[in-house]
Amino acid sequence: MLGSYAQAHEQTPAYPRILPSHVEGVVKVQLRLLNRRKEINYYEIGLFDINFDEIDFTTKRKIIKIDYQETIDFDVYLRKSDLDRAVYICTASKILKSNKSRAVVSSIVCSKLGGEPL
Amino acid sequence: MMKYLSTIFILLACPAVATVDIVGSVEAKCVIQTTKSGVYGNPIASKLSTTPADGGVLPVIRYDVSIADAYTANITHPTSFSSSPTLSDTVAWTGSTSVTQTSVAGMSAYEAAKTVVDNTTIFDLTLAGSTWFSTASSAVYGSAKPFSGGTYTASVVATCIPK
Repeated sequence: MLGSYAQAHEQTPAYPRILPSHVEGVVKVQLRLLNRRKEINYYEIGLFDINFDEIDFTTKRKIIKIDYQETIDFDVYLRKSDLDRAVYICTASKILKSNKSRAVVSSIVCSKLGGEPL
Repeated sequence: MMKYLSTIFILLACPAVATVDIVGSVEAKCVIQTTKSGVYGNPIASKLSTTPADGGVLPVIRYDVSIADAYTANITHPTSFSSSPTLSDTVAWTGSTSVTQTSVAGMSAYEAAKTVVDNTTIFDLTLAGSTWFSTASSAVYGSAKPFSGGTYTASVVATCIPK
């Protein structure tokens, strides 16, 4: 049943490892995004603290263009000094304008830094 | 000589047996599926509503979680239009989110255990499997004025947060 439907947004791993980067004082996190939402082609990456306040980070593209059924691996780079407050890395679907009055669903899936809860 | 030969025959007669293990693990994963997009009905000139009785369609969101007690589902109903014609008066928003279907009987307890903070409803996903949620959203234009003609879009935000 899991993952069998064709309108899904998925981000893994849930608890990513923090890896060294090629820049001193900067670490990186590797994540994977899978787009099975046919009407969505763009996702925005965000780094947040425990209260979902934004934290600065860098990546190749903060808004990822991704086709239907495509998987993209991406790296998020953040300052080592921000590690004590950085908690969530999320991808949020970006919805295009439409000509029909509707309540659209914006999906946000997050990964948590700092390892699995004990 | 016979002893050696019989040993060789026995070895040849025995089929080679080896065991190969297949190892797999399931990691924590949350998948958000938009089962149905919502549509606003316009039962009276000053109201837009996703409630079927008002001619609307409720958006349905399905959460699949692979590991129990690893995620919370936070679903936020809209408090503004993401696109609309120009509005000169205030809009009064109401909304709510409910569990509509579950893959595991125990998940029906999610509804009673949900917490509501402002316009966000939080569900603790304590069991592995699939849960369907629907969100009702209603917008009433100030002083019962009619909404001007055009397209109105509002977003329900479905978030999956690891614990």
